[in-house]
Amino acid sequence: MKWVTVILLKDKASKKREGVYCMDIQTRKISNVKHNTVIRESLVAIKKDWQLYSLLFLPIIYYIIFKYGPMYGNIIAFRKFVPGGPAYGVEWVGLKYFNLFIKDPAFWGIFANTLKISVLSLVIGFPFPIIFALLLNELTNMKFKKFIQTVSYLPHFLSMVIVAGMIQQLLEPSGVINAAIKAFGGNAISFLNEPSWFRTIYVSSGIWQGMGWGAILYLASLSGISMELYEAAKIDGANRWKQTIHVTIPGIMPTIIILLILNIGGLATVGFEKVLLLYNPLTYSTADVISTYLYRLGIESNNFSYATAIGLFEAVIGLVLVSSANLISRKYSETSLW
Amino acid sequence: MNKKLKKLIMCTVMVTLCASAFVGCGSKKDTAKTDAKVKDTGTFLANTTFKSDEPLEFNMLYSDAPNYPYQKDWLLFKEITKRTNVTLKLTTSPASDYSQKRSLLISTGDAPLIMPKTYPGQEVPFIASGAILPISDYVSQMPNYMKKVKEWGLEGDLKSLMQKDGKYYVLPGLHEKPVQDYSYIIRTDIFDKYKIKVPTSYDELYEATKTIKAAEPNIIPWTDRYEFQNTLNLAAPTFGAIAGWGYGEGTKYTDSKTDKFVFSPVTSEYKDMLTYFNKLVKEKLLDPQSFTQSEDQAVQKFVNGKSYIISGNSQSITSLTETMNSTIGKDKYKISKILDPAGPKGSVLAGNHLENGIMFSSKAKDNPNFNQMLHFVDWLWYSDEGQELSKWGVEGTTYTKENGVRKLTSDVTFQTLNPTGTKDLRKQYGFSGGVFAYGGSQDLYLSMLSPADVAFQTAVDKTMTILPQAPPVLFSSDEREEANLISKPLTDYVNQMSLKFMVGNQSLDTNWDDYVNQCKTKGSDKLVDMTNKVYQETKSTLNK
Amino acid sequence: MAKQSRQYKVFQVFNVILLLLIVIITLYPFIYVVSQSFSAEKYIIAGKVNLFPKGFNINTYMVIMKEKYFWVGYKNTVLYTVFGTLISLAMSTLLAYPLSKKRLVGKKLLMPFVIFTMFFNGGLIPNYLLIRNLGMRNTIWSIIIPGAISTYNLIIMKSFFEGIPNELEEAAAVDGSSTYRTLISIILPLSMPIMATMTLFYAVGNWNNWFGPFLYFDSKDQFPVTLYLRNIISGAQQSSVSSGSDADELAQIGATIKSATIVLTVLPILCIYPFIQKYFVTGVMIGSVKG
Repeated sequence: MKWVTVILLKDKASKKREGVYCMDIQTRKISNVKHNTVIRESLVAIKKDWQLYSLLFLPIIYYIIFKYGPMYGNIIAFRKFVPGGPAYGVEWVGLKYFNLFIKDPAFWGIFANTLKISVLSLVIGFPFPIIFALLLNELTNMKFKKFIQTVSYLPHFLSMVIVAGMIQQLLEPSGVINAAIKAFGGNAISFLNEPSWFRTIYVSSGIWQGMGWGAILYLASLSGISMELYEAAKIDGANRWKQTIHVTIPGIMPTIIILLILNIGGLATVGFEKVLLLYNPLTYSTADVISTYLYRLGIESNNFSYATAIGLFEAVIGLVLVSSANLISRKYSETSLW
Repeated sequence: MNKKLKKLIMCTVMVTLCASAFVGCGSKKDTAKTDAKVKDTGTFLANTTFKSDEPLEFNMLYSDAPNYPYQKDWLLFKEITKRTNVTLKLTTSPASDYSQKRSLLISTGDAPLIMPKTYPGQEVPFIASGAILPISDYVSQMPNYMKKVKEWGLEGDLKSLMQKDGKYYVLPGLHEKPVQDYSYIIRTDIFDKYKIKVPTSYDELYEATKTIKAAEPNIIPWTDRYEFQNTLNLAAPTFGAIAGWGYGEGTKYTDSKTDKFVFSPVTSEYKDMLTYFNKLVKEKLLDPQSFTQSEDQAVQKFVNGKSYIISGNSQSITSLTETMNSTIGKDKYKISKILDPAGPKGSVLAGNHLENGIMFSSKAKDNPNFNQMLHFVDWLWYSDEGQELSKWGVEGTTYTKENGVRKLTSDVTFQTLNPTGTKDLRKQYGFSGGVFAYGGSQDLYLSMLSPADVAFQTAVDKTMTILPQAPPVLFSSDEREEANLISKPLTDYVNQMSLKFMVGNQSLDTNWDDYVNQCKTKGSDKLVDMTNKVYQETKSTLNK
Repeated sequence: MAKQSRQYKVFQVFNVILLLLIVIITLYPFIYVVSQSFSAEKYIIAGKVNLFPKGFNINTYMVIMKEKYFWVGYKNTVLYTVFGTLISLAMSTLLAYPLSKKRLVGKKLLMPFVIFTMFFNGGLIPNYLLIRNLGMRNTIWSIIIPGAISTYNLIIMKSFFEGIPNELEEAAAVDGSSTYRTLISIILPLSMPIMATMTLFYAVGNWNNWFGPFLYFDSKDQFPVTLYLRNIISGAQQSSVSSGSDADELAQIGATIKSATIVLTVLPILCIYPFIQKYFVTGVMIGSVKG
């Protein structure tokens, strides 16, 4: 029986396929069964392009073994883990640990703190590296530009302990900032003991520490913008400012968007070390975040189950955030994570 | 999309399961591969040197302190092997993260046999899984340890380590007399200048600071460090409360007559203590930054002459002196450590005869050399000979002993002793390190102190009353988990509020009742009731 | 026209001033640390060292350099960083490049597959068990393999690859070049900025990684120098938390030693950047960029 493959169209104008079928040549009868062209086509494409797919082999194995392998450990959010006992826990406890923090009124306040701090850091801190990269880009003296670049990312390398120590010295009642305040006739403020100041201190020091380092990616992106585009714009009569708006910024927009989406995904978690070094019982009300709360409860090192439950909670939130950001980005721009 | 999603989920689940099956099957290769029985090597006698017939190797966890970094060729290890034929195979961990590494190794089944630097209380989370050895079952094999317990009357203290099954799981360091090193350091020259007597009570301390303030209105005489935890720890017992480093969970034992626990932070005694400190802060005698400032900031104020009282111990005197010789001038000041002041309840100290010790992996008992290991540990950590070796080193090389008086050899320096020596006892030789040298007889302890410190310790011994230890409350692991979930957030709240009361952010007059009620809402009554209930139920085990 | 370029010149002046200010703010803490490392301890405790060293001496550096484990740690760190970075670069490229191709079959599955791991991981103990069961404990593999691909970096790399116009590859394919050759001789040279950046990111990540060695190594001979540093700095930080003799032991590390160790461990990684900068050259790309 000889047959050919025929494609039935849903409608002639759009050429959208309804399906692929077998048609018997002699009887011109079309079989009822759709070919699964998707898999067919895929296999054909893969075979043709096998070199490209071969590149994926090692990394995927890596992901399976080293990233997905240990994931069973999350089961201890639902099973009780006893230190020294098996890694998958000793008995089922269901949602016990989740209830523990969901029903704990203190937890939600701390969760709010975590969000407030990270949202503030993102909203205020995100533009700085971009602006800094753009400003650097305007420098004509290459040596000066290189010098500033190198110096600007130095703070990123200072260990948090040193940075915190310096912040403390700067802000203490007898420190430099308060000396300036007193010179202008004001009263000394005990910055690190005031809950209302914590976020400001956290965010500003974050900007200072991360601005230079964060600009690196944007600088790399800037160097990828073709000179021809600038030439074309100049010919059209655009001054530097207009060039920035119409050439530079669109040029680095994909980078900006990707980084923005990635950072939104990280909103549920706030770094532990910096908060730990800068906070104290007087500022818990604004400074205490999930990671420091866990640390203080001594739960981190021994009650792995509780920590894992909270970790899952944060992970789900992060995933939801990233997916939403990605969806929005897909709709309104050409760039997205997936 | 639904179909694709389902497919994706199925694939992921299958892949994860396969990978996990591979990963999770923890092939613990060393589970009883030997059916060899534990060798019986006969009795080991106290005050004899342990020596094994054949070379032995024991795996031990070592906490590497950065100020005397571990060296493979330390004389300490060489000498130990020479005398006992035992080599210690060390798993090193930086001191900064020692407890995390220990916790991880135990949790994954890789715990070394011997795990020192375990403070009483740190062994508790690991008991439920059976990963830790109930050492109390085996101390009969440790004659030196038993001898010291008997001679110094520490049976009662050992009870504080007891767990629900009547056994204890950490082998503690033993002190003949409780060691109290922390107190307050004052500028004696300033006190002399204003003709103030060295304060012996907190009331006198108050008066003293007032006098100084009157004479120097721009100075705040007392600025403290350690986030005030040391001061609270020292002051609380003298007021009849518990706080600071000694807070624990806040449940304080009353006495053997009333025989129950109360929640200290809501008692009138605790309030009195807060009132005292608040008074000092209000009158600008105590720096409100004391509660939160960093160590460096507090010390800076003191060495620059901006404050005259600070918390410290004998080490602090040494380091402060070094700095102040240049900031103020060698003969222009004088500092000394005063005896811990007395409070309304007298000159009392919450002292402890026990200190950090050793935890053993439960796999040790399956090791054929188990008995040898016990004897070895007993000799090195609890015999007079072993302790002298760990602390002083090798006679003739690092120290000399004449008529019972020990002295470091002239070239060997350690802290304040022999400052001109070129070889540091700890750094070069490994002796007097925290992992091996701790606890011991009073004679041994005093032998390495400066005369000033010896005087201090003797005064403590003579004038201060050591409060009796609270009996342990034998929680089961589930009960403990429940208690922790109440006590930890409660502790948080108490800390915050105590600070606010002392600094003056909250008023002790108008806000106190609110605070007490909040404590109750957060479970203070529940905690106390639970504690008392478990205590009454398990009391009989203590008397076994 | 003349007016606009004058406006621009004014802007450029302000720009320089602003950037100089930024330089001062970012450079100062580093100068502070360097000064401390060359000062005498007592001046630091007294808070007198703010800009310039007081009691200038190089003793601290001498003391550190004499410490055997500092050099052992340094050698280890360099080893781990070099190999770790090479492997990470290779693995990330192998995955990022195919992912950047629109035509990739299964791309819709692969992306979530990869991104999922950014949020979910197994936790400390399962990871440790995996490494142990694979026999990787106490070997260099335990440090460089688990972190071989950072999904964050991967995504960034992928989006950079996406910016390379397809025409180039199509032209190469027409010329009969295999995918492998196209990747190596065309794509990579054009991607120098992102490769350089990723080298920097992975190198710094590997250099600063103390946690992996802490978990998987038992012997001090294998510790990297950052673990050595952490012991010195964090130990002192925790001294106020613990009571007992530990507090003193840890707090006795002088401020000079802390700062000198910081300088010594940060210096090399700082030196990498200037070498990488030369790859950030404009106009390497031919053709337009998306957007």
